[in-house]
Amino acid sequence: MPPALAAEAALDRGALATALCGDGAAQAKAVEGVLRNSAEATSGDLAWAGTILRALLDRRLACLGESALVLDRAGAADGRDAATGTARPVTGGRSPVLGLRQRALVETASGAASLLTGADVELRRAGLAALERRIATVPEALLLRAASAETDPGLRAGLAAIAQSAALSSADPARRLAAIRAVSEAPSGAAFSRLSALKADAAYGSDPAFRSALDAALARVERAVSIGNGLAVLYNGLSFASILFMAAAGLAIIFGLMGVINLAQGEFIMIGAYATYGVQEAVRRLAPGWLDAYLLAAIPVAFLASALVGIAIEALILRHLYRRPLMSLLATWAVSLFLINGVRVAVGSQNLQFAMPPYVSGGVPLYADFVVTWNRLFAIAFAAVTLVLTLVILKRTPLGLAIRAVTQNRDMAACLGIRTRRVDRLAFGFGSGLAGLAGVALCPIYSVNPGMGANFVIDSFMVVVLGGVGTVVGTLVAALGIGGANVLIEPLYGAVAAKVIVLAGIILFLQRRPEGLFAMRRRR
Amino acid sequence: MSGALDLSPGIPAARRRGPILGGDPLLAGLVGLVLAAALGLVLLPPAPYLVNTVGQLAAFAILAVSLDLVWGYLGILSLGHGLFFAIGGYVCAMHLLAHAYAVTGTAPDLMQFMGWKSLPVYWAGLTSAPYALALALGLAAAVAFVFGLASFRSRVNGVYFSIISQALVYVAMLLMFRNDTGLGGNNGMTGFSLLFGWPMGAPGVVTGLAVATLLSLAAVLVGARALVASPLGRRMLACRDDEARLRTLGYGTTRLKLGIWCLSAAIAALAGLLYVPQVGIINPRVLSPDLSIEIAVWVAIGGMGRLGGAVIGAIAVNALKFWLSAAMPEAWPFILSGLVLVVVLGLPNGLLDLATLRLKPNWLQRAGPQP
Amino acid sequence: MSALVIDSLEVVFGAFRALDSLSLAVDPGEVRAVIGPNGAGKTTLLDAITGIARPRSGRILLGDGRDLTQASEAEIARAGVRRKFQKPSVFPALTVRENLGLGCGPDCPARERPVRLARALAETGLEARASVPAGALAHGEKQWLEIGMVLASEPRVLLLDEPVAGLSDDETARTAELIGALRRPDRAILVIEHDMAFVEAVADRVTVLHEGRTLFEGAMAGARADARVIDVFLGR
Repeated sequence: MPPALAAEAALDRGALATALCGDGAAQAKAVEGVLRNSAEATSGDLAWAGTILRALLDRRLACLGESALVLDRAGAADGRDAATGTARPVTGGRSPVLGLRQRALVETASGAASLLTGADVELRRAGLAALERRIATVPEALLLRAASAETDPGLRAGLAAIAQSAALSSADPARRLAAIRAVSEAPSGAAFSRLSALKADAAYGSDPAFRSALDAALARVERAVSIGNGLAVLYNGLSFASILFMAAAGLAIIFGLMGVINLAQGEFIMIGAYATYGVQEAVRRLAPGWLDAYLLAAIPVAFLASALVGIAIEALILRHLYRRPLMSLLATWAVSLFLINGVRVAVGSQNLQFAMPPYVSGGVPLYADFVVTWNRLFAIAFAAVTLVLTLVILKRTPLGLAIRAVTQNRDMAACLGIRTRRVDRLAFGFGSGLAGLAGVALCPIYSVNPGMGANFVIDSFMVVVLGGVGTVVGTLVAALGIGGANVLIEPLYGAVAAKVIVLAGIILFLQRRPEGLFAMRRRR
Repeated sequence: MSGALDLSPGIPAARRRGPILGGDPLLAGLVGLVLAAALGLVLLPPAPYLVNTVGQLAAFAILAVSLDLVWGYLGILSLGHGLFFAIGGYVCAMHLLAHAYAVTGTAPDLMQFMGWKSLPVYWAGLTSAPYALALALGLAAAVAFVFGLASFRSRVNGVYFSIISQALVYVAMLLMFRNDTGLGGNNGMTGFSLLFGWPMGAPGVVTGLAVATLLSLAAVLVGARALVASPLGRRMLACRDDEARLRTLGYGTTRLKLGIWCLSAAIAALAGLLYVPQVGIINPRVLSPDLSIEIAVWVAIGGMGRLGGAVIGAIAVNALKFWLSAAMPEAWPFILSGLVLVVVLGLPNGLLDLATLRLKPNWLQRAGPQP
Repeated sequence: MSALVIDSLEVVFGAFRALDSLSLAVDPGEVRAVIGPNGAGKTTLLDAITGIARPRSGRILLGDGRDLTQASEAEIARAGVRRKFQKPSVFPALTVRENLGLGCGPDCPARERPVRLARALAETGLEARASVPAGALAHGEKQWLEIGMVLASEPRVLLLDEPVAGLSDDETARTAELIGALRRPDRAILVIEHDMAFVEAVADRVTVLHEGRTLFEGAMAGARADARVIDVFLGR
């Protein structure tokens, strides 16, 4: 900084204190001066100015003759002289009056001081917020200085954004063009609005260079935002499909194996979610330091909980309904009714509250407004792992082989010595366990209550019908298709229309291929 | 998918064919009971709420019979019959509102809700009861036709059909919950004041509705019995037990199924039409997938494939539900699921087995094809 | 003039070729046995003729030149093709008489129906059981009922898929007689069987299938002597 400016910037504290005790015009002039020089003032001066301005706002300033006293709190008996710092009693002092316009100025200047000299991020953020309210009066240099000195990345980004806005309205046309280009390089919905607002500017009509630059920038931002939104839609579709896959995979295996339509599948998802809640509460009570890991700890618990309930149902009820798919359907419906109301009576119908560990909160912005949120990524990763494990189990383990054999030809498998009833039981448990896993995955995303299963069960059925019975790959493809279609259509026509169109699509598809996408061909 | 899966119900002994009800004493007795009840309501009317309850039960019985026709006799398990019930109900509601509006001049709440100055064009003619009846039955049959054609033609049968019918009624429910359909949205339609010019709450009207429902039930039973005893009914049974075989004999099964399916839809719509004035309201909850499954539960509990069973099941389950909803509402879902499990595990042919004292618990049975 | 002509028929399930350019012709009045090891394509052949399986290429022609290749099951049935399945598939909820009534077919003239029913009952020996639900019949009676259903329709082409499977020797002999009595000058009968004695008793000629193709066609004696047939099927 040139030395002349430095000399000018040294603050005359006494003069400021006197002015603040003066009339409205004096106050305004003095505070404006502080603001104007804030970019070049020393930290010490700024901090001092901030203190005295805050005192003024909080009614902790007392005027005694030509000097001002800063009180610790409003109405205290004595305070410190603002200029010298010595303690003096307040007697005979008066409280300076602050008019509306002056108050606004003081808030802005105080904000500037906080921004530049505040000790912690919160203070500085509050200061920035104050500045934002009257951004037009804030000198650009101040923002630049704050930005270069700022350590907190979030705050720095905020500062950059505001500096940018200021630059967009700068008097210098070259700076404006540069600012426009800078904004278009960080596209987002907010950026788009900021640029569109400039269309009302006088320069848009008068300056051809300005207009073409602005139009080009707008086009670029718009395209980027659309791409970003498209990515967001795909991402949401992928996460929905992941949960759908986990819910439907078990259904497909059970249906292929035993011909049982499990109307209680949604409730296995619910059991998984409630088991997760149980794990969270247990961890909170027993090992609160490990709370963040509750989701991971819940994975085996949820699987086992749902699997055990499934095995119990198979052993107690379904075993007696062998080869009676109709009655099995009604029986599983009765079980579903029982489970929903049982949980409702035992725990209550309210939505459960889940802590959000850092690995499922927030996300990283990837492109334009598209943020890769961790909770959905968790669901997607979870489903991928589930897919791999399921395929490995089905293709590489003896149990998987037995499941496939019994699915394709039950009688023959029995003749070969495979204990088909045992396979049924284990497979039912496995399928239910998979649904339980879906319950874990959706805790960070969807609300959890006793009736939550109903939201997924119809879609899971559609996935099984579309993908073909008994096939995991078919389930995957169908889940991607249905999940994706749902999420793609929803922003265009609404959620209900999405479901209608997807259902109509499935019915039409079944016209051509009634067995579904990947059905196993069975010889009669 | 032509079912490797067999959803067909039990194999009841083939009824001797005789004069309309001659071959089926149980059903004849039931029809007699229904007519006697109707007579009783006219001659010695009990309290209006009891009359109303009887009427509602009779409407549910009609609904159950409509499902038994396609399920017990054709092997098509529809888990979406609530859709047709709702169509009948909504059309009836529209008629009642239009009628009251025309007679009294006070606009129904619906118009205020939608911000209408007058009823839209598709309400035209709904002041006429015969038109409303025809529209309800015809619309239900038309919807059934489209859905049935798409499914039966591509041989979507068995469980797939059941699941898709659930999806259909679910989607219809979502549609009806929207407030912009002009059909009351979330709140549905209510506030019916007049029936054929008479005030809805008057005891005579309540009794009249209940009697009309009972008489309709009797008529439906007689008609259905005639249908299943006819050669067409024989073909229905054959189609239920082995559709592929019937096709190889030269019979067009798609046409058969489609026809009975549409008839069933119309009967279900009739049930809805009779139900709504007695319960005083219709809203999208009638389209809930659970209710459509409950209809199948009534039929299963009563005993499917014998018409009388559907009536018994519907009346027994709903009477129990009415009673318990007042006395112990939280217990009802548990009792219902328990009832279903008991019937499914112990009474393969439903309560009718109790009636004919043929208890055959599952674990005593030899292995063999079962419903 | 043949009653039934199969011309270079090809039926494929996924990657598996069930029928591989199969050709066959049956004369009117003839009883032709189709034999072969399991998986040779015998049942698939019947499936193709009745319209259950769609051939990828080739033709199926009825005696009067009617092309059945792409017709629907019901159309094929109405053209006079009747099949008796391997598993007895009668309608268990209907009586014997009602089953026979259905067997007659939708195009059965009303006047003729009682005549045909009576004849079918007589020829299958089921008169005494006419009002019994078919589900209550014994296995052998079910097989005869099926044959009776087929009889009642007076078919032009009759396909019998393992008619004596699971029958005792007496029942087998009786069935052989029954089939003999089914001959008509304008009717072609195709029988699939494994019981060689039975085949010898009923068939005029024999077609041996192997891996979806015709291996041998001619008299049974010739089949027994043919080296390829022995190698693949009969001998070892």
